[in-house]
Amino acid sequence: MEKILILNGSPRAPKSNSKLYAGLFSDYCPRPTDYAAITRNNHLELCAQMEKYTDVLLVFPLYADALPVGLLNFLKSLEKHPPRKKPVISVLINCGFLEAHQNDIAIRMLRLFCRNNGYETGSVLKLGSGEAILQTPFRYVAKRSIRKLAKAVASGRHQDFSATMPLTRKLFLWASTVYWTNYGKKFGITKQEMQRMDIESPDNR
Amino acid sequence: MVSENFIKKEFTMKLIMTDRPLPLTSAASGGEIRYVDLSSLKIANCVGCFGCWTKTPGRCVIRDDATRVYPLIAESDEVVYVSRLRYGGYDSVMKTMLERAIPVQQAFIRIHNGETHHVQRAVAPKKATIVVYGDYSDEEKDIFRQLVGRNAHNMNFTGYDILFTASDNADGAVEKIVSQWKKY
Ligand SMILES: Cc1cc2nc3c(=O)[nH]c(=O)nc-3n(C[C@H](O)[C@H](O)[C@H](O)COP(=O)(O)O)c2cc1C
Repeated sequence: MEKILILNGSPRAPKSNSKLYAGLFSDYCPRPTDYAAITRNNHLELCAQMEKYTDVLLVFPLYADALPVGLLNFLKSLEKHPPRKKPVISVLINCGFLEAHQNDIAIRMLRLFCRNNGYETGSVLKLGSGEAILQTPFRYVAKRSIRKLAKAVASGRHQDFSATMPLTRKLFLWASTVYWTNYGKKFGITKQEMQRMDIESPDNR
Repeated sequence: MVSENFIKKEFTMKLIMTDRPLPLTSAASGGEIRYVDLSSLKIANCVGCFGCWTKTPGRCVIRDDATRVYPLIAESDEVVYVSRLRYGGYDSVMKTMLERAIPVQQAFIRIHNGETHHVQRAVAPKKATIVVYGDYSDEEKDIFRQLVGRNAHNMNFTGYDILFTASDNADGAVEKIVSQWKKY
């Protein structure tokens, strides 16, 4: 069976949610997978490797409403150094906010890149609440959608999926406040400290 | 710690932030107009550690030139961003800085324009003009318009204009804006 290459475009790849999502994808995928993180220094190597695969899955977070700059830089390298055989590119994007549609623009950018550079886009999964979902009882929602994505990519019957925590915005707000308060607590920072309004001065280096 | 004075402070700073040098220095430096040429600064990529929200709130743990820029972004009530367009978004230089600007937000979430977004720290509401240049298609322009519309929610824009220019016209477009500022 043809292998699928998973590329992690998170700037914190080793400790990323994207890595966990990639792991779930591998677990559910009927086809074998290889995994690599995109780093500053391995662009050419990855561009060359891509020609050995019929399918590539890009897994990455939404950053400032768009592609994280490390991934953007990788795409620029890929444009200059295309593999001789071009794989189908599928995407698993996650964002911190509740609404999965906040990922739409990043997906449009990737589709445009693919079209302009001769890659077919395969399946897409847009995950909202992706910062925290695996640490909540709603992890089943993420898992279920990744399972569907894996089946679609493996079979070539491509589809778009979208998933998030089944919460109202108000409840999400409450749950995320608990999540971030506990995050700060691990570093000895109180909720009040996290809520400070001032930003360091431009001269304060 | 949360100083009312600070929050209510009158913001009057204007910021020109560009990904390439602009021939504006005489007109634009000093006073209430700040000029930041990102291409001359050393700014690393955000590593997504969330230190600026959870360890040293309001302060990035990477102590490079970005730490002098995001406070200016926060303080300005008018910004002009000049960037090359790439795949319908900001090219790398501008995008790197925008990612490094998240210390100006809190981790905490609010409901804003019917969606979930972060609470802003002392970020002046601002009017933004985004000047983009490069080779781009109509589709890229359309994606970019959508992107800036979404940025507006996350970057406290009260209004924005987008100027799509040819590479050699970007300077002129910015000159025009600055001369308008100078009139008032
Ligand atoms: C610099 C930066 C910018 C971000 N921008 C957004 C954003 O615009 N919208 C959003 O919903 N989440 C945003 N996030 C949240 C991430 O998408 C979210 O935490 C995600 O789960 C990170 O995935 P990763 O662990 O795979 O890197 C941002 C995070 C960082 C560090």
